[in-house]
Amino acid sequence: MKRTYLGEFEEIVLLTVAVLEVERQAYGVAITHEIIEQTGRSVRLNQIHAALERLEEKGMVKSEMGEPTAERGGRRKRLFSVTGYGRLTLQDIQEVRVSFWNRILHPVKPVETQQLASPLG
Amino acid sequence: MQHKPPQYADRLLRLFLAPHRREEVLGDLHEEFAWQVRNAGKRRARWRYWLDVLGFLKPWAIRRPEHEENRTVFSTTNFLSPAMLRNYFRTAWRNLLKNRFYSLINMSGLTIGLAVGILILLWVQDELSFDRFHQQASQIYKLENWAGTGSSRQIWTSTVAPIAEMGKQELPDIREAVRTSYNGMYNLFKYKDKSIVEENTMFTDPTLFSVFDFPLIAGNSASPFPDDHSIVLTETTAKRYFGDENPIGKVLVSDENTAFKVSGIIRDMPENSSMQADIMLPLSLMFTRTYQANTGGKNQHNDFSQFNYNTYFLLQPNASVAALTDKLRTIHLRNKPDDTDLTYLLQPLPDIHLYHADGTEAGIGSVRMFGIIALLILTIACINYVNLSTARAMLRSKEVSMRKIVGAAREQLFMQFVVETGLLFFVATILALSLMYALLPVFNQLSGKHLVLTLSNIRIWELIGLTIFGTLLASSIYPAILLSSFDPLKALKGKISSRVSEALFRKILVVVQFSVSVILIASTFIISNQLHYIQSKELGYDKAHVFGLFMRDNMAKHFEAVKASLLNQPGVAAVTRASANIIRLEGQSGDNEWDGKEKGETMFVRPVAIDKDFIPFFKMQLTEGRNFAGTPADSLHFILNETAVKRARIKNPIGKSFRLWNRRGTIVGVVKDFHFASMRQKIEPAVFFYQPGDMRSLYVKTTSNNAQQAIAAAENVYKQYNADYAFTYTFLDASFDNLYKSERQTGLLFNIFAGIAILISCLGLFGLATYTAQVRTREIGVRKVLGSSISGIIQLLVKDFVKLVVIAIVIAVPVAWYSMSQWLEAFAYRITIEWWIFALSGLLALSIALITISVQSIKAALMNPVKSLRPE
Repeated sequence: MKRTYLGEFEEIVLLTVAVLEVERQAYGVAITHEIIEQTGRSVRLNQIHAALERLEEKGMVKSEMGEPTAERGGRRKRLFSVTGYGRLTLQDIQEVRVSFWNRILHPVKPVETQQLASPLG
Repeated sequence: MQHKPPQYADRLLRLFLAPHRREEVLGDLHEEFAWQVRNAGKRRARWRYWLDVLGFLKPWAIRRPEHEENRTVFSTTNFLSPAMLRNYFRTAWRNLLKNRFYSLINMSGLTIGLAVGILILLWVQDELSFDRFHQQASQIYKLENWAGTGSSRQIWTSTVAPIAEMGKQELPDIREAVRTSYNGMYNLFKYKDKSIVEENTMFTDPTLFSVFDFPLIAGNSASPFPDDHSIVLTETTAKRYFGDENPIGKVLVSDENTAFKVSGIIRDMPENSSMQADIMLPLSLMFTRTYQANTGGKNQHNDFSQFNYNTYFLLQPNASVAALTDKLRTIHLRNKPDDTDLTYLLQPLPDIHLYHADGTEAGIGSVRMFGIIALLILTIACINYVNLSTARAMLRSKEVSMRKIVGAAREQLFMQFVVETGLLFFVATILALSLMYALLPVFNQLSGKHLVLTLSNIRIWELIGLTIFGTLLASSIYPAILLSSFDPLKALKGKISSRVSEALFRKILVVVQFSVSVILIASTFIISNQLHYIQSKELGYDKAHVFGLFMRDNMAKHFEAVKASLLNQPGVAAVTRASANIIRLEGQSGDNEWDGKEKGETMFVRPVAIDKDFIPFFKMQLTEGRNFAGTPADSLHFILNETAVKRARIKNPIGKSFRLWNRRGTIVGVVKDFHFASMRQKIEPAVFFYQPGDMRSLYVKTTSNNAQQAIAAAENVYKQYNADYAFTYTFLDASFDNLYKSERQTGLLFNIFAGIAILISCLGLFGLATYTAQVRTREIGVRKVLGSSISGIIQLLVKDFVKLVVIAIVIAVPVAWYSMSQWLEAFAYRITIEWWIFALSGLLALSIALITISVQSIKAALMNPVKSLRPE
């Protein structure tokens, strides 16, 4: 199955949105801080905005304008939420990973390996 | 909130960030800033803020959204987006390859047109650049004067010596004066074993090096000539004598063992300087030499009779030139009251090369003519392109319509065609540049220039760039507009080709092309006829098999011995001598008098000293009187030419008195008029006199088959007397040809340009004919099926084009007649323009056009109708 390609960073941003949207906190600054905290990467605001822009273009997130705060100079936040398509994509990625992990944890038997390797010999 | 984010960062962000993102991004940035202030401190926060703002300097953040009304599901890509640009190039390239034939025709027309057009324009540019490199060029003027009365009135480009210093002393508007003069005294220069006869030398005031941009690069600028025996050389000349040694202080030995010490070096004078010299000697030396003998109290400060000096003035920036010439005249008349016919003229330095001092045209005529020709050739090349691409547009109308229907916007189509033209031009430009490189040596030889296509000369590349850009613009806009404007539905139905205006436009362009070609062909004919006429016109003397050479002092003294030994040699038929070159008599004198001369009248005559056998030698005819007999009494006798007699209104001239300089005598003969100058000039008064000591031009008549022996004999004799000097001789036929060098150049260039113009026009016509045949394939098929004959079809196809060429001829004839009459005006002796010249050129253009068209037409007419009708 071919899905729209999702970069690793985009995936993390998408996951963060999914986490934060519950508290209606999925906007630029909050996402940035969350990612820095969780992954220890040094992430910059403009990278998050760019990623969100791409995700929105791909239809994985949607956005609406939230409430203004004094810290923001009376400007509104743009609050993001994951779309159904975004969720589906995340699940797909997760399933692929799980299936690989399963094979790492329950490796193929040695006999089968030999059978697989013999045509190459 | 006591801490605010950096204002300038905000302002910068507002500048580039797309407006619809502003609120969210600024909000986030400010919130982040507040957080950073709390956690990392104010300084770090401001620093971070700047980094974050700059982080938004990215295409996605800058790009403005499409306007709401355009933001539909089927929105088009911006016509300048990278994807579209790539697409333009791809489709353009495919199209050029698909229509190889048309691309080739277009490209060759453009290549030839650009290469030739640019070469001519480079020549024009070079001509216009003369003398403009001097920083003070706009304030430097050359002093010249009107002299003579009645039909003798003329401009003398040289002046008397004292006017320069007097002018500078008395008139505050004159800041500095420079005089130069011809050096006939020192020709041979020796250093150690090198001895060279220099041709380009002059005497000059030391102010030359500061007024003009010829600064000393070695030597003392404050005094370029420390004494009378100083000498200034150009770099190349210094290299010639001294190689890599330091030239300053070295000694050159010249004629009469005069030693000159090198006191300065200047850079070589640029090619586009009207002043050209390799060696400069102090003018004070010339004065010393001229006035050392007893000259009756005359010296360089009061001699108002020797017009031997080129005088240049450096004026104050706002000096009034007209007032100045009047004041100079007053000074002149105060010192020499009888020069009432003299008026001064001041000519700006940059005009010297192309205009006469009174503002009449000199070289500017040909500059303008060739400039126009260059533009005409470029125009023809553009027209070709426009014609072919608009004609082809009909065939491409379906492509355009399809593109429109699937959503191409007009500007995208426009860009596509512009890119297509650009690509074609790019290739043509590269080809044209290589063609120019290849043609440059030939062109330089033809035009007598030394143009070089160096990367460093920005002016050349500016010109090339501008020309190409202009041509590109002129030839791409109309087709691009036309092609992108098709109405898709009509075009798909095939209605497009019936639009009258475009066909008419194309026809007009063809007419223009052929008019230009016919004009050039007719001009070529007229120029070559005129050249033939002046070169074969009866000159009044016989110059066949005669060569001449210049006798130096030693040889001239022993003339009788030279003559005797030459006459003994095989191949020598006769020997004589005179004081000047008969092909081109130079030097004039107004210092003369005769019975009946009016007060204030000045007649300039060309005085020539001739030997007693000169007139029979050249087979000239005496209409009255007798020749010189060679007796001492002849030194008081004169022979006048018919023009002189007529101009002086002397009746029964024989025996009448005549004075030339201080020589008072009688007229003993009248010689029939002969041409001693270019046919551009009327025959002027000439006076022969007899003075054996003054004749340095030796003439040798050879028999036609033993010329080589005669030359060898002359060289032998020459070396006997002047071992140091190289032996040079010229056949009179050759120096006569030299008189018309520039005319022959013009003629040759016209031939070439006419050829190129007609070639490019024919390329275009060929393309158009091919196209027409292609479009009408089916029509021809139907006609053939219905019984039309092959010749009938050919007629049908050819008729349209022939009509255009005929119209072109009708337009071209008056234009060619007018411009060529102007050109002929410059000749005192000229052909009359006859009608058959135009008939012939018209016929020629018509037949060339016919041949071009008929190839395609015959092919189309012979086509099997089954084939041409099958696609239906």
